This record gives sequence, structure tokens and C-alpha cells, in this order.
Amino acid sequence: MKVLATYNIKGGVGKTATAVNLAHVAAAHGNRVLVWDLDPQGAATFYFRVKPKVKGGGKAIVRGSLELGDAIKATDFDNLDLVPADFSYRHLDLWLDDAKKPLARIRRALRQVSDEYDYVFLDCPPSISLTSESVFRAADALLVPTIPTTLSLRTYEQLDRFVEENPDMVRELKILGFFSMVDRHKRLHRRFMNELRTAHPEILEATIPNSTDIERMGVHREPIGAYGKGSKPARAYEALWSEIQNRL
Amino acid sequence: MGKVRRYEVTAAGDFASVLAVLTDHLGLRLLSHDEGERSWLDTSTGTLGRAETTLEFRRPTGDATPSLTWACEGRVLVSDPCVSSTPPVQASDLPATPAFARLVALVDGGELVLGPTVSSQIAVLACLDDEEKTTARVVFDRSETLDGVALPMMLEVLPLRGYEDDAAALEKKLKRSVALSASSASMKELALRGVRSGHGASSGHDSAALVPSMSAAGAWRAVFQNLSESMTRSFSGVLSGNDPEDLHAFRVAVRRIRTILQDGDDVIDPESRDRFRHEYRWLGDVTTPTRDADVHLIEFPELVATLPSSRREELAAFNDVLLRHRTDCQAAMVAELRSLRRAEFGTAWLSFLADDDSWTGCGEVADEPVLHVVLMRVNKANRQFVKSGRKISKKSPAIALHELRKEGKRLRYLLECFGPLFDEKALASILKPLRELQDVLGEFQDTEVQAHALLDLAGELASGEDHSALMAIGGVIEQLGVRGADARASFSKTFGRFDDRKVQKAFDRLEPRKKKR
Repeated sequence: MKVLATYNIKGGVGKTATAVNLAHVAAAHGNRVLVWDLDPQGAATFYFRVKPKVKGGGKAIVRGSLELGDAIKATDFDNLDLVPADFSYRHLDLWLDDAKKPLARIRRALRQVSDEYDYVFLDCPPSISLTSESVFRAADALLVPTIPTTLSLRTYEQLDRFVEENPDMVRELKILGFFSMVDRHKRLHRRFMNELRTAHPEILEATIPNSTDIERMGVHREPIGAYGKGSKPARAYEALWSEIQNRL
Repeated sequence: MGKVRRYEVTAAGDFASVLAVLTDHLGLRLLSHDEGERSWLDTSTGTLGRAETTLEFRRPTGDATPSLTWACEGRVLVSDPCVSSTPPVQASDLPATPAFARLVALVDGGELVLGPTVSSQIAVLACLDDEEKTTARVVFDRSETLDGVALPMMLEVLPLRGYEDDAAALEKKLKRSVALSASSASMKELALRGVRSGHGASSGHDSAALVPSMSAAGAWRAVFQNLSESMTRSFSGVLSGNDPEDLHAFRVAVRRIRTILQDGDDVIDPESRDRFRHEYRWLGDVTTPTRDADVHLIEFPELVATLPSSRREELAAFNDVLLRHRTDCQAAMVAELRSLRRAEFGTAWLSFLADDDSWTGCGEVADEPVLHVVLMRVNKANRQFVKSGRKISKKSPAIALHELRKEGKRLRYLLECFGPLFDEKALASILKPLRELQDVLGEFQDTEVQAHALLDLAGELASGEDHSALMAIGGVIEQLGVRGADARASFSKTFGRFDDRKVQKAFDRLEPRKKKR
């Protein structure tokens, strides 16, 4: 089982769309996939039409009194399940802080379902906190959607530095950055992409376009592959998944 | 995760009316509605079944692409379109996806065997909550075997993980709205029973239930029904090509039907008789190359064993030629058996057998007692056979023996198919020497046919520089020639045993004696 976390310190960069769409692509390819919506906003949960409620509470999962498997809900798609968000996840940092070995909590919870899934996508809230550190410990790779702007460049480098400075915490974590919400008509986007690729050649080739098709996920409440199969953004997620698999 | 719950739909009404209840009354959303053929596959040792999974090859009606679906307890593990229009035979034929990689590992290098094939209408429906999220799926399935045996309509409720309570509530609603009875059998199991049993049929050599007093038309019809069931039982095996015995049984049933049609003048409606004789001849012809190829493969090792050991190894390459040839023949035959012609003919034949009007006032002797009619035809066939046999001499051409063999088959099939009407002892005393004689004639013809076919196929090796294999095949053909000559030499003696006065007198005793009170 590979654990992939969609993460960026900055919000609104396409983390949830990435988690939902890549999970859908991976499942359509015959992989057994789980999405764990750790963001109390519950956008991934919303996209899958699941009610944002964990029976027994998110705290019970973190504490280990509730098996992760008992919180899992099937989505409408074959081989694709979800641990829904719960508004109480806003206290996740506090619960982890109270717990023994807080950084191992998410990894330990995932271990319970390691035989059932090929890939787990963790959709993380934007921040660097105890939650994100716990995610870093659990994940095999961080998928970092990055908008080609100055601010995004800064946050990407912040994350890179953090991982470099904390080798014990992150162990063999791979950072897989890619450009998200790209508008190729904007000269600034093109320029920043060139600059960032020069500075960070490890950034993935596949890019996700800025597209109203992706925004319509909120209307359809399903992954883009379900309502816009063959569209440009759907193909972009296919290409991204293919590249990620090669890097893992 | 909740287990799939299966129900047999016992409600009156057809597929469309039950489907309307599910959608209109219960508010289930129709996700898909497909029609077409589907076949189940497994390894010869049933690995997939033991793992509680099913592998289905679906060929939709129309131009849609066939697909392969691997499922566990009704839940789709993976479903992919197929490049090929025929089911996969080996694990390596499966699509290269992660899920199918798990299937390949499960199959573990084994071959996939084609199980039952049915024609189906399948509707998949979703039960939705107030967020329009699916909480349970319902699969509604109406299937029949390829020869028209209708299987019970089935309804499966598939709970989704985390929504087991919703599925239980749906089941309660379903039971209130549609007449259902719980079933432990899956559609695959029902299909398997349907194809195998053909609703009470037995093996190809079994006879129809006949009594001397029944009308000739009734008896002919019963014999046809019995033989049709025999064909149905072997049909899926013929398509899979895994066991040559299936094709053999199928062809025997076809030949018997042809014979009984031939001798059905004044019993069967002439127009139908002509049409079906023509179609059954075609059906026999399309299966002949594959049967011949089977015989080559079955007998080849025995023939090779007659050669000196130094020559045997030289024939390894030729065995590959035979295998390739057999694969080509099988593919061509399957295409014909899946053709529109075969489907239309099969449907017309079953309708003909099922329609009472087709069997009323259909011929001059149709209403006469069958024993009287069939004895006349048996005696006529015997007279013809004996007359032709007596003409055979050492100088007679091979074709004369082949024609005699056909006449012998006609007599034998009449006696066997209407066997229950006759006196058992008299029948046995005729059939024994007749079968021996047919074996001799069969050996003579088979060796000739095989020798010619091997010579043709050997041409494929002739282009190579190594002529040692060709030389070895020459040795095999020589052996066939020896066997053929032996058969021919024994003809006179074997025919004499059948043309014996005691045996011929037994024809007069075929009519059962009335029991004394």
C-alpha cells in the first residue's frame, strides 16, 4: 500500500481536486483506492456526496478506539472508498498533541487497512502543523500542487527546506511537485514555470490546467473523469497519475 | 461490508414490467441496461470460484465493445473493454491493468476455461440518499441459455460499505413491492444447471420416452427434442473447445437429427423438413474440420509410437502444425456457431419443436402408430444396406465403402433413436454386428481421410530445409495405409456376420410381442 498526501502550505491550489481526481483515475485503472479527507472543510467528502460525519468521531480514530475500517464509506465508484471528513478535525492538532507518539498516529491507523488498498490519498488541510507532520510520517510521497506564481514558489521552497531539515521525521518521503491551475495564456505563468523548473528539475512534467471543467466538480459532485471523460483536464490528471506511478 | 443478497423474482410479469416497478414505484435510479451474451470463465480447477470471484466475458448486442468483468461477491473489482471479440483463453490474454495483474496471479499460469454462456438482459440500479449518493446497488438479471432455456429472473442487492443499514431498508421495501424468494444460487450457478440439465435431458446416447402406440409425429418430435437437448448440453463445451468429446457428442446429435429428418417423409411438414435438413447439413459441415483436427491430434501420438524411436523426435514440429491447424479450425467454427444464421436457425428449430400446430396433420402417416411407421423405414433401410453391402468386392472403389457406411449409419440411428419401441433382444442381436461393421467401415474411412489431411498439412513443413520431419510423416501415412488395408480386408467377414440369416431374421422380431394374460 502506497500512501500519497496532497499537500501545500498554501490553500486554494487544487489539493482536493488532485486527491479526488487522481484517486478516481487510480481506481479506474483497477487499483483499490482509499481517500482520507483530513480537511475539516470536507471538500473531498462533498465531491463524493458523502455526509461529512465520522460515526464515533475523528478523535476515536486518532486515539485508536475506532478502527479506521469502521469509518470507511464506499463511494459511487468501483474500488474507491472514502474516510469522510468530520468538522471535529479542526481539533486534530490538539488531539495529536495530547496523544503519545503523535507523529505515528495516522500511520498506525492506516496500517489497519494496508491489506485492503493499493493506494491511499490523504487530503490535508493547508498548514504546517502537528497534523501535517503526522501526515509526512505516514506518507510515501507528498503531491504538491503549485500555482506558477511568486508566492507559490516561496511556499514550495519552504516545504522543500522543511523536509531537508527534518530527515528523521520524514524518512524516505518523496516530494512530487507539479504545476496546478496553469493558464498558458499568462506570460507570468509561463515565466515562473520555466524559472521553477530550472531551479527544481524534479518537478513533474504533467501540468493541470486552470479550467472551468475542474471548477464544475462542485456542481456535479463527482470527479472530472466521471462527467468529463476525455476532456483536457481529465487527460491531464491521467498523465499526472502515469508520471507519479513512474516516480514512486 | 455486507454480503450480496440474492432473490429469485417470482412476480408475474416480464423483465420490463418488473423493471418499471423498481424505477417508478421504488424510485431506484437506472444506471445501466445492457443486453447481450455473457460467458463465465474459470480455470479448469475452479480457482476463481474458490476465491469467491467471477470472471465474465460480455458481448453486448450491436456494435458495443465486449468487456471483461472480474467481480467478487457481486462487486466489480475491475471491468475493462476487450480488444478481442473472443473470450481470453490464457492469463496472458487478460488486459494489462493492476487489477487484472492480481487475477493473473490467481490464475497462476493456468488456462481459462469457458463455462456456461447465456443471453442476458441486465439492469443495474442505484438506491440514492438525500445527497443523491448511492447507498446500495440492485442488479436485475434475466437470462436464458443460448438454446432458449429461460432461467429464473434474479435480483441481487449489493450493500455498499458503510451503508449496510440502507441496504437492509431497501430489501424490506423490495420485498413489499415485488414477489421475491431468497436464493442461494448465483446466475452463474443457475446458468450452469440450465445448460447442463437442459431441463431434464440426459446424455446424447439416451433415448426419448417412446411407446409403440404414440403417433409417428409425436414420436419424431420426442426424438428431436431429446437430441436437441443433447446438442444444448454440449454447445458451450463446443465453443470453448476444451474437450473434444463435447464436439463429438454435438456432431453425433446433429447427424442423428439429420437421419431422422431424412426418414421423416410423410411424418413431418415437407417444407420444414427440407429447410432443417439443409441447415443441419450446414451445421454438420461447419464442425467437420475441427473434428478432423481433433482426431489428428488424438491419434497422432499413437501413430508416432509406431515409428522407430529415432524418427519420433523429428515429428515434434509437426505436432505444432497440428495444434495451429486445430486452433484455426476452432476459431472458424466458433465464428459460424455464433453467426446470425446459426442463431436464427436455432430459434426456428426450437419454435418448430414447441409449436403444436407444426405437428398436427403434417403428413400422410403422421397420425399412424409410430411402431408401424418406423418398422417400415427400418426394414427399407436394412434392405438397401444389405443390397449395397453385397455388391462390395475387393475391386470396389473406396467411395463405395464410404457410401455403404452412410447407409449403415442411417440404419443404426433409426434403430437407436427409436430403440425403446423395439424388442430388446432382437434389437441387441442386430446392433452388435451392425456396430462392429460400422467400426470397420469407420476405420477404413478415417485412415483415408487422415492420410490425405496429414499429407496436406505436411506441406507446411516442406518449405523448411530439414526434410527429416517430412520423411517421418511419410512413415505415419504408411502406417495409416496399413490400418486402412487391414480394415478393408476384414470387411467381408464382418459384413457376413451382419448379413447372417439369424441377424436378418431378428428384424422380423423387432416388434415387441404382446404379453400373455
